[in-house]
Amino acid sequence: MTLITISLLAVITFTTRYLFLEGKLPLRLGPNIKQLLSFSAPAVLTTIFVPILFVHEQQLDISLTNIYLWGGIAAIMASYKTHSVYWTIGVGTSVFLVGGTFL
Amino acid sequence: MFNRRKALLAVATKGALNMLPLSLAVLPWGILFGSLAIQRGFSWIEAQLFSAIIFGGAVQIVTVELMAEDTPLLTVLFSALVISSRHFLYGLTLREKLRTKPLRWRVGLGFLLTDELFALSGDRRAYANRYRLYYALGAGGSFYLAWNAWTAVGIIAGAWLPDLTDSGLDFAIAATFIALVIPDIKSLPSLVCVLVSSILSIIFSIYNLELGLVLAALIGMLAGFGLQKLRQAQ
Repeated sequence: MTLITISLLAVITFTTRYLFLEGKLPLRLGPNIKQLLSFSAPAVLTTIFVPILFVHEQQLDISLTNIYLWGGIAAIMASYKTHSVYWTIGVGTSVFLVGGTFL
Repeated sequence: MFNRRKALLAVATKGALNMLPLSLAVLPWGILFGSLAIQRGFSWIEAQLFSAIIFGGAVQIVTVELMAEDTPLLTVLFSALVISSRHFLYGLTLREKLRTKPLRWRVGLGFLLTDELFALSGDRRAYANRYRLYYALGAGGSFYLAWNAWTAVGIIAGAWLPDLTDSGLDFAIAATFIALVIPDIKSLPSLVCVLVSSILSIIFSIYNLELGLVLAALIGMLAGFGLQKLRQAQ
């Protein structure tokens, strides 16, 4: 039963990923939809990281002792200045870790 | 022939290298999943199979909990569908680039189309030619191997490791996605899109709405798109 459930879950995740890559699907994307979809990457990726910074145990945390927020601000500034993945993670994580030892 | 192979291998390696920070950032989640599955009474084969064929982060962690609680099958499947629904957006976004490619590429890259691979697919010429496809294969394939390796570490060492859920390691994920989003903000509409998505994702996570994150993204997209239309009209 467990193996069947795992297989069905695999079918679901694969379907959500593959469905719109199928050329035979009778679907034409107009210029407006394409323009709308050009915002999908920043929009979806934002909804992945922002709650990690701001929401802990289902509560909004914007206190000065929220080290996730300090680390996040540092990472955002580093990314804005350098556009480098490594600098962003390096600076953000350093501030996060140093903050963690003080707070 | 030999040179061509070498060149394809080189671009695949480049893809894997560009994916490396993301492959490392999901280490805590992979370990968390592996150890969680064992703690909830799954065999190591079942635990590894989750990562090998489902290949999702949140969806695996949530469904393994639900299955351990003997939740009805349909509820488990529906939760998985809700959590995975953001991938419909990825497929739609990449549709024009991939729909004419051979079946094996569509199926292969479709299987590998995680948040992380999508995040590396922003280039205008992504997937445009054979080299670009191999680049994506290297990026997505290496991420698949990493996710499965971290899962195995969790399965083997999970019992001896401290609880990683509260260790702050999730900050690595946040920092990685910051690095992917910020350079993408190149105009006022994209800034508005990100701000609207941010605020709504906070509100929806506080209220723990299952479809909240997809909704937050969709409304953010509409906000950015609307503003762009307005500016074009002027």
